[in-house]
Amino acid sequence: MTLTMLTAHALPASAECRCVLVDGRVLTITASRRPRANRADVKCAVAGAPAISERMQEVVRLARHTEPRFDSRDQVVLSMDIVPSAEERGWELAAVLADRKVRGLPPFAPATESSSAAAPDEAKLYADGWSDAWHLGRVTGQPSQAAVRAARHLASADQLFAGDDGSTAEAAQANITLISHLGALSGHADPSAAVSSARAWFPLHSGGINDTLSWVEVSVYPIDSAGVDEESTIAAPGLDLTVLNTLRQTLAAARHFDGKGLGRWRTVVRFGQPRFQGQSYQLALVMADRLARGREFVPRGRLIASGCSSAWHAGRVETVEGREPKLELILKQAASGDRVLLPQEWQAGLPEQYQNTLKARGASLACISQIGMI
Amino acid sequence: MGLFKRSRKQAVEISGLGSLLIARRLDDLRAAPVGSVVVQQKGERELVYCFHPGPYQVDLTPFAAAPEMGLRLRFVIEANPRVSQQRFDLYLFSEAGEELNLADFGEAVQGDVQHELAQGGLELPPCTSLDEWHAFRAGLNQLLYTRFGVTVDDCVPVDLGDSIDYAAALRARAAAIASAPAANVSVTAAIANVAVADASVPGLAAASAGLPAPDRAADAKALRRLFLELPVLSSGIRLLAIPPGTEIFQSHQAILQRLSLVVLSVGSMPSLEWSAPNQPLESAQQLRRIAQSQAAVVALDEGWSLLAQLQMQSPAQWPERADEADRVLANLEYHLAERRVAFAAVDAQPSERREPKL
Repeated sequence: MTLTMLTAHALPASAECRCVLVDGRVLTITASRRPRANRADVKCAVAGAPAISERMQEVVRLARHTEPRFDSRDQVVLSMDIVPSAEERGWELAAVLADRKVRGLPPFAPATESSSAAAPDEAKLYADGWSDAWHLGRVTGQPSQAAVRAARHLASADQLFAGDDGSTAEAAQANITLISHLGALSGHADPSAAVSSARAWFPLHSGGINDTLSWVEVSVYPIDSAGVDEESTIAAPGLDLTVLNTLRQTLAAARHFDGKGLGRWRTVVRFGQPRFQGQSYQLALVMADRLARGREFVPRGRLIASGCSSAWHAGRVETVEGREPKLELILKQAASGDRVLLPQEWQAGLPEQYQNTLKARGASLACISQIGMI
Repeated sequence: MGLFKRSRKQAVEISGLGSLLIARRLDDLRAAPVGSVVVQQKGERELVYCFHPGPYQVDLTPFAAAPEMGLRLRFVIEANPRVSQQRFDLYLFSEAGEELNLADFGEAVQGDVQHELAQGGLELPPCTSLDEWHAFRAGLNQLLYTRFGVTVDDCVPVDLGDSIDYAAALRARAAAIASAPAANVSVTAAIANVAVADASVPGLAAASAGLPAPDRAADAKALRRLFLELPVLSSGIRLLAIPPGTEIFQSHQAILQRLSLVVLSVGSMPSLEWSAPNQPLESAQQLRRIAQSQAAVVALDEGWSLLAQLQMQSPAQWPERADEADRVLANLEYHLAERRVAFAAVDAQPSERREPKL
């Protein structure tokens, strides 16, 4: 019974995604779902702008080529409340995300009854990005000045996804997530890029209301000269030296454990939110590194991890502080396909039904004492 | 049914059979090597194959994004005495051409496993626990038996780091990107051109200029698979032990009814090249029809995976699977209807169709 509720009926009938235009106006793209009934798969309605409507349909259709699951049963109708000027293209990502959200695709899993009852006024979604290769899932562009200004006034639960052409340093803001590829929404590497970057998420506990899941991204590129010091090939722009040193030691030790990790890669590490304290990001960092190097099974959704270690060279995972708030946050944020990794010590103290609740959401949990298989 | 029958004959050697070669089509029934099994499909044109029961070993990459993590699979081809037609025989008649190589077969298995993992039918998450591994193995065994008719003997995770170098693959990608910087631009330009052509010129005269020649064999192969496999899939679903309950019974019946209509639709599919008697169809529309019949085959594969899941499920999971069955059937019906019509809007499909499934 509950399973049917989750799969068939918990999908929203409509979803919204906003885009801040260059002149500061906020454009809202509304996507709604209805039975297909022999109509087109995507319909776009923008009053008085047939060219934009056509472009929107094309963008959404091309972006759907990156999805593994095809469903011919629904039609998605997209509409814009105001008409952007013809040169602006930042709304393209908003159209793609609205189309994904209304169909409950990761990371926008359908809300369960409990959470939708608790928060009827859900978090707002903003997007700003465009692409010339939507069929490959690439996203380019950068958040416009207007979007960055607007992002400062977002509520803590709101999110802004923006294209990433590598030129911007604005990612330091908490709720701006830069993506260069649609798979990055779930932390996956872009299969057509020469640099392999993977993301993993970790819970950042900062006193209740401001708790968030923050991401760490590891990008690797093959190195030419062998025999260099592993730690000197790892860079993390914008981090202070102590954090950088711990991070380098962590990665180098974990690669030593891996066996085939040393001396092959040049590495750049980025954080969604570079100002934090504590060591609990380490497990997420190590797992993102393994994913980026193509040496770990890939989760369907995001990888959410919390844990540290004093012996990464042995692959050991040790416990971290802040168990209760972190568990609560993970339960609130986990979506279908997500993989949650926690230290073995937390297993005994898990709340009753915690694992089952996650499972009902489509996420899975493992409490581990060691990285790698079994 | 008595349509298919096994017999043993003694004769010549076929090189590689039992190691690199799984099966080969025979022109002469008597030309089968010792130790191989001969299967025969009787019809207006008799098809005879001989295959070696194995064991075979093949390495798979379960995730395209993790090329250095592999699964080493050992399988055999075993006959199930309780069924009238072996699934592997059907696989041979339906999908094997002249011969069935181990490498090609491994690739087909890998594609199916990757697709299932991406859809969530199988789960192999990072840091897999022992219980999760057992669940994966059970699902994999069932999937490979239901879809390909092979019995998994053993499956272990392996480190493919010695044979596959991801760093080298990334270097090759970088070189490819550097040597073809204009590719993206040209795709965009092509899309823009098609959009313009569609808007200004009615019909497809402008768009069909640079199209590849329609591949009739691909369409025929897809329709042949649908024609041969759908009835067997349908009978597999009919034989399921379904949990009690009126609603479940009705949904089961509805699935069977829709499947038989799909079978009927495949059996009466119009030929590729004609829009009406003596009216040749333009090649853009032919290409569209081929794409649709191939998409229908993807839905057929999902149907086999679904059958494997239904065979293993607990009664509580039926409603969830019924929704999945509804999706698979809806996709089959949709693609076949699109294959049937002679004229429809042709999408501006980019040549690189999609990225590897994640």
